[in-house]
Amino acid sequence: MKHLWLYTGILVSLFLLVIVSLGGAVWGAEQTIGHWTGNLLQGVCHQMPQRSFSINGVQMAVNTRCFGIFSGLLAGWLLIPLLIKVRPGKNWTLHFLLVTVMFQIIDFAGNLMEIWTNTNSSRFLTGILLGFAVSLVISELFKQKNLEL
Amino acid sequence: MSEIESKSEDKFVFSNYWPSLVIVGAIFSLISFVVGLFFGYQQINSEPAGSFFSPFMLSSGVICLLTAFAGLVAVWHYTKEISPFLKLGQGAVLGFLTGAVITVLSVILSELWVMFFDPEYTQKILQSMIANIEAMDMPASTKEDMIDAMADSIETQQSFFRQIFWGIPVTGLLNLLTALIGVKVFAKKDEETF
Repeated sequence: MKHLWLYTGILVSLFLLVIVSLGGAVWGAEQTIGHWTGNLLQGVCHQMPQRSFSINGVQMAVNTRCFGIFSGLLAGWLLIPLLIKVRPGKNWTLHFLLVTVMFQIIDFAGNLMEIWTNTNSSRFLTGILLGFAVSLVISELFKQKNLEL
Repeated sequence: MSEIESKSEDKFVFSNYWPSLVIVGAIFSLISFVVGLFFGYQQINSEPAGSFFSPFMLSSGVICLLTAFAGLVAVWHYTKEISPFLKLGQGAVLGFLTGAVITVLSVILSELWVMFFDPEYTQKILQSMIANIEAMDMPASTKEDMIDAMADSIETQQSFFRQIFWGIPVTGLLNLLTALIGVKVFAKKDEETF
């Protein structure tokens, strides 16, 4: 694998991101908003209680969609050493990423236009697919040259 | 690009990154600042509906979505204007620094807004959000806890260095990842010797 240091650095960062996303409960706090985990992620997520999972009654630091994206990123990143050995068609990962972005848009727009009501589960699932797809796209950059031949 | 020029790109020359960093960082921080203000004043001028879904809460999600693409755009700008060759590590640095620039500039813009144009801005946001929570249908103790937590959270946001300290790691990481996608999409492939 190329760029092992970069791979490892991002892996550690994503792992920490998912841990922090779990919110204050992991650190024994009674709530996440106002806790350092909530402060760290308040700039990237609306942190609405109704749209967030909770652990032991304590809201997570990000909503279900963001948590899905972060988890998907981490899961995909962990699988990069295996994914770089898979060589199906060219650019399929970018197409897969576009499909997952479409899922997000459909899920969000359907809810906005009141065609359906999306749930925490649907937000989490579409988020995890998007995060996984991003890792998948990036995975190709870690391939050794001789694997691309 | 000649072989000599291509080889020269192997060295980390920070000045090469400046144009992409500053231009893309400035544009996205301005967008982030304007969108934040838009939702902030929407919040201030809205009637307390007692809903969890407030404009101010929505703003962070929208801003995150918009600014996450800055890493990708910075790489695009670099490959168009500086060199089409960009290594993965260089793209990662460019993405992370773009996220850092966006955080710093948008915090500076917000501070300037509060300092020169609307010193009561944060207080008005806080009052509006408290009014919204008080209109919610829930036990009084829960409301008090929510108001205390929110006041803590907004007070934290008021500190310049805290905003930067909390903002850079996550914004930087998200932009780093989109910059890596940018490297895949926009950068020309070259023999890499990391």
